[in-house]
Amino acid sequence: MMAKSFIFYECIPLVKLTGRRASDIIDFLEILKRISQESIFHHLHQYFLKPCVHSVYHTSDFAVWVAEWLEEKGLAERLANINPYAYTSIDDLRWEIIHIIEDYLKEYPPPRPVLPGGEFFFNEGATIVIPSGFEARDLKGFIHCLERVNRSSIYFHFFEARLRLEKEGDDFTEWLSTSMGRDDISDKIRGLDPYMFDLDELRSIIIEILKGKL
Amino acid sequence: MHLDMYRNIVDGGELRAIERLAAHLKGRSFVHVNSTATGGGVAELLQRMVPLIKGLDIDIKWKVIEGNHKFFDVTKNMHNTLQGKGRPFTKQMWDVYEETNRKNAEKLDLEGDCIFIHDPQPAALIESRKGGGIWIWRCHIDISTPDRISWYFLKKFVDMYDASIFSVASFAQHLKNTQFMVPPSIDPLSDKNMDLEKSYIDGVMERFAIPRDKPILLQVSRFDPWKDPIGVIEAYRMVKRYKDCRLILAGGTAADDPEGERMLEKVRTAASGDPDIHILLLPPSSHKEINALQRAADVVIQKSLREGFGLVVAEALWKGRPVIGSAVGGIPLQIIDGVNGFLVHSIEGTAYRIRQTLHNPKMADRLGAAGREHIKKNFLITRHIRDYLAMWVSMENTTSKNIIYL
Repeated sequence: MMAKSFIFYECIPLVKLTGRRASDIIDFLEILKRISQESIFHHLHQYFLKPCVHSVYHTSDFAVWVAEWLEEKGLAERLANINPYAYTSIDDLRWEIIHIIEDYLKEYPPPRPVLPGGEFFFNEGATIVIPSGFEARDLKGFIHCLERVNRSSIYFHFFEARLRLEKEGDDFTEWLSTSMGRDDISDKIRGLDPYMFDLDELRSIIIEILKGKL
Repeated sequence: MHLDMYRNIVDGGELRAIERLAAHLKGRSFVHVNSTATGGGVAELLQRMVPLIKGLDIDIKWKVIEGNHKFFDVTKNMHNTLQGKGRPFTKQMWDVYEETNRKNAEKLDLEGDCIFIHDPQPAALIESRKGGGIWIWRCHIDISTPDRISWYFLKKFVDMYDASIFSVASFAQHLKNTQFMVPPSIDPLSDKNMDLEKSYIDGVMERFAIPRDKPILLQVSRFDPWKDPIGVIEAYRMVKRYKDCRLILAGGTAADDPEGERMLEKVRTAASGDPDIHILLLPPSSHKEINALQRAADVVIQKSLREGFGLVVAEALWKGRPVIGSAVGGIPLQIIDGVNGFLVHSIEGTAYRIRQTLHNPKMADRLGAAGREHIKKNFLITRHIRDYLAMWVSMENTTSKNIIYL
């Protein structure tokens, strides 16, 4: 029986504005409790699709705002240390962030509000998914395609898939295990800490793993 | 003009996305309306974007509203009040605004599948909406802290649209419709951004009688108080105490900007007696000359007090120039502080960063190289076209889901 091929999709991220803004940590906390799941998903998971990734040390919009605008470095570090990839439920992630902020505010006084223009703006993402035209039937072909697809494809199959599939894992390791029977490669990719890299770095690391297993 | 011309410049995935979206929208009609055919960022963008979209087999039309001096004086004041400063708005002003929009609506054919109305000047055309089609208000200006009364009146029209687009998240408002963020873009192949021969650049500098004997600071902008040309002159004077240099203030006035002349006079007075300040009043067609000036500059400044987006920043970054810009509007999206330029908050900050950049040419080169890469990934016209088409598709999507498969 022929193995199922892997069709690479690419995506177009659109940013929707909710008009909700927080100028201090208390506002932020209150909005965070009620804001849509799409907004939390956007600020954490779609972070790497943004025009500018401000800081390699803070892998979410929330942590960047707390560090750069509230200038509360300790809280920013705690937020940056959350691994969104470890959660398959957005609400679990929401409450983890809320608990971290509330615990922090028990220890420290709330920081001053930000200056005008520095507010946190809650947005949501909308994604249009398109076939890239790249399709792989074996490992060599998979590497060939992975080297050529737009970086949005890495986002779609790696980060977005996790919430779409509602289980731990991603489209790449799913295909490598079930269609290629290569659990050895899947395990290695699953062992990555993806939020420590930008999409192009992650692409290079996955390609390196695949080439090492050819 | 065709998308293929960009194949060696942008990522292939971006072009694939555009082609896929265009195939989905093939033969459909796309109407754009703004208030001026020349001068200003919106007209420049549409001049490039319209032929490219036409080449994708989408029936795109660009229409310009007409108005007298009184109307453009009112809309200029509206522009100012929406950006937070301006004369109080009177009922007479609103009557002029609504009446001009009504007359234009009678003359213009606004039927289409997707209708983009750019900025406040033609926003009231929505009142004359007849058939179907999606109506989208595209706001290019900074309305993060608008004068409440002006916004109250304009919002009445904006709420009638199916969606609104803002260039920066902080411009979002409480509206009844869906709001999107789409930053604008530059065209790397336009006269303003294309590569130029050194001899051409030298020729332009000679023509404007600007010697190349000392470092050149440049701000390109309309002569408009929001661009703070007087603040730029003050910063230049602070720098000059430490490092001799020249300052070029280059710009024009758009057809819909009667205030420009008044500001130009103030700038001339502030600069009088200093032969190292070059004030260049350029006609709207001077794209190639501006390109040459940006390439000849050692430091590019954009010291705006308010800014819709500040596309001149992207233009200078694309040319690998170090850019020092105010942290307002869309400038912080383009300048990552310390990575590809510097963000500043005062005249003193501007002067300090200019000195730092002039004294450290290696750092200036590093900033410039990072700037070009940042613009390539995020602020070129192909990304902009992709976003507009994607938005249109997204607005026609009847499911409530935020993920759409094409």
